[in-house]
Amino acid sequence: MQFAAFADRAAELEAEPADLETVALVADLLRDAGDDIGTVARFLQGRVFPGWDARTLDVGPALCYEALAKAAGTNVTADDVEERLADEGEIGTVAANLDLGGQQGLGAFAAGGDAGRDDPTLAEVDDELRAVAATEGDGSEDTKLATLFGLFSRVSDAEARYLVRLVLGEMRLGVGEGTVRDAIAEAFDVDPALVADALQVSNDYGRVARIARDEGEDGLRETSLTVGRPVQSMLAQAGTVTGALESWDEVAAEIKFDGARVQLHHHPDGIAPPDADREPAPDDPTVRLYSRNTSEVTDALPEIREFAEERLDAPAILDGEVVAVDDDGGPLPFQEVLRRFRRKHDVDRMREEVELELHAFDCLLDGRDGTAGTDLLDEPFRERHGHLADLLPEAASEVLYSDAAEAIEAFEQEALSAGHEGIMLKRPDSAYTPGDRGQDWLKRKPDVETLDCVVTGAEWGEGRRANEFGTFLLAVGGDDGYETVGKVATGITDERLAELTDLLEPHVVSEDGQTVEFRPEVVFEVGYEEIQASPTYGAGYALRFPRFVEVRQDKDPEDADTVERVERLANGGVDDGADADADDAAADGADHGEAPDSAAEN
Amino acid sequence: MFKAIVSASTLRDSLDAVSVLVDECKIRLNEEELSIRAVDPANVGMVDLTLEAAAFESYEADGGVIGVNLTRLEEVAGMANADDLIHLELDEETRKLHIEVEGLSYTLALIDPDSIRKEPDIPDLDLPAEITLEGAQLNRGITAADMVSDHIRLRVDETDETFHIEAEGDTDDVDLQLESEDLIALTAGPADSLFSLDYLKDMNKAIASDAEVRVELGEEFPVKLHYEFAEGLGTVTFMLAPRIQSE
Repeated sequence: MQFAAFADRAAELEAEPADLETVALVADLLRDAGDDIGTVARFLQGRVFPGWDARTLDVGPALCYEALAKAAGTNVTADDVEERLADEGEIGTVAANLDLGGQQGLGAFAAGGDAGRDDPTLAEVDDELRAVAATEGDGSEDTKLATLFGLFSRVSDAEARYLVRLVLGEMRLGVGEGTVRDAIAEAFDVDPALVADALQVSNDYGRVARIARDEGEDGLRETSLTVGRPVQSMLAQAGTVTGALESWDEVAAEIKFDGARVQLHHHPDGIAPPDADREPAPDDPTVRLYSRNTSEVTDALPEIREFAEERLDAPAILDGEVVAVDDDGGPLPFQEVLRRFRRKHDVDRMREEVELELHAFDCLLDGRDGTAGTDLLDEPFRERHGHLADLLPEAASEVLYSDAAEAIEAFEQEALSAGHEGIMLKRPDSAYTPGDRGQDWLKRKPDVETLDCVVTGAEWGEGRRANEFGTFLLAVGGDDGYETVGKVATGITDERLAELTDLLEPHVVSEDGQTVEFRPEVVFEVGYEEIQASPTYGAGYALRFPRFVEVRQDKDPEDADTVERVERLANGGVDDGADADADDAAADGADHGEAPDSAAEN
Repeated sequence: MFKAIVSASTLRDSLDAVSVLVDECKIRLNEEELSIRAVDPANVGMVDLTLEAAAFESYEADGGVIGVNLTRLEEVAGMANADDLIHLELDEETRKLHIEVEGLSYTLALIDPDSIRKEPDIPDLDLPAEITLEGAQLNRGITAADMVSDHIRLRVDETDETFHIEAEGDTDDVDLQLESEDLIALTAGPADSLFSLDYLKDMNKAIASDAEVRVELGEEFPVKLHYEFAEGLGTVTFMLAPRIQSE
């Protein structure tokens, strides 16, 4: 197919407002695409590479405008292109009016005859764009510029409109993923649900379109996860323990690691690189690691690769988190992982400085049955985790299956005391849905609000902590002194516990067995999951999942929060009394999603 | 097998001619000469270079092809003084090129030649006009054109037997007119083509001001620029595709 023919179809699509008609047009195009079907399916969505392949053109707008200017008529500069863009508002229209094609290519003279324009085919455009993506190192900007200049010089005005949009990855055709999915089903008369399933496991619209056409529904059914082709990571929403228990009855709780998400692919025969387009060779690595956005990060994480190489025998795809640890094996903050993740230079030196560990929590494919691997996506979490525990017990996460809030609270406290971020809650019978931020995985909701509570009592700890306070009684200001609102024991490290004991011991006014009473002197900032009405405490409310945040040295007991505010928060009312510190807690709870390559997070 | 000793200036002159168009290239190590042919990523400019075995202090080769990162190789050659000798030796096992310059040894990893852009088949264009001039004259015309435009027009006036280097800017124009007596040689013919100045500027950088440049020109056809270096033992041909002249 000529690129010009594709551009004509793209123009039709852009002009078509109705969804059903759009699907029909895409279906026609897919039927007519012949060998170019894969490229067509990708180009329609502004993609050169399939979803599992994280390569990009790495061409910014500035470079693209410069290439356009070079290919445009006499004495047009990149600034002129930007000016026109400001007027037109859309780069495709600008490109279509730049009168490109003045520069001829040597290829046009190859036939020896008079030079016409050397109209590119769809496949040639694809090749050139892949060449742009492959350009790296010194002088790569110049090479990318020259390649794009060459390509822009070969197209008509109508083609230029869509070529430039493709280069910048925004086709604006009104053709989304759903449209292509439905069009594949319509074009080749196959079940849309099978197309959707095949897309989910292959992460490749071009390949699925080809399979639907050439192999029909049987082929789609056989499409499964492939080692070396990462899928998007399953994501979690914020949620609460109470909510999870209400909806699921039973909860699978895991430690939430403050690390970088990785998908580990292993194949004993080696995994060919994505751009190789060949069977694996003996030199190919047996383990490849991908970020949650399917970028390859194998080279940055040699110890994780070696760890998996030594222990895995069969093909496998595992999901997990890479965590930085200190000399005692305790977790270090996410920033430490980032120092390693996606690093290209000095990997060996950084390996000495920051030690990494793999914590795997899911298994997407298990090839121990001697096949290329059984796809486990539709298996329940409990089953998948069982495969994981058998495949790689040394790195498999610890899971608590429980229907008791208290047990989960204790599990969380343990996780927090060990220095972890918190816990994850998963529905034990849920499937693995790639790229989906669904309801089946929850990060226990970070505290939306904090309260400043006066510490009015405590209980002595037990065992080795018998000389320290363990649980603190919290109170807020009422009409008549202080009213209790809950107890906090969570969120306090051993070291901190000793400090708090020193801080509070001088204020003890009475002691009765394990229990002590304090003069109201010290204020704790405390986070919580929710506030419930409760007869247990004097305030008439109880904090659910209270968590110690900080000692408010700057606050006196009379500055602490009041029963009135607790009541308002419990009723979900507008909290105009919230002090600015609440924002800190909200910020702490924010995703690391903006970090480079959105590396982290469950 | 490849093993050679060559003066730094000769090696640098060779690499410079190629690096104005590409960052990496294939080098053919023929028995009688070393040759490079490369086309820029836009398929607009091409270079064809030959350096005879006699241009080397010593030269042994048996017809292999290697792919090199030119930028890196130029940097290494830049470590030498002009009259220093550079030793080159290909390690067939490791596919690396060992380079020695005055006690400095550098091991250069080679590139798979198949990964380098393939040059298009260019037929022998029969171009009607031929102008031979000094590198300095060409340089003067290009410098003048660069003041006003990003395009340059090369033209032969058959009646007056003159060669023109012209440029048209948004407001200003330039025209360098060279009579046949100003030129080393002129074969007049119908010749008038427009070119991207960026490319011609780059090619011009590689041409010494005292070099004799033979220009082959036609109407709306690619231009060929031929010159020699290394005392005539090295030859370079640049070919540049034209821009379509409006109106």
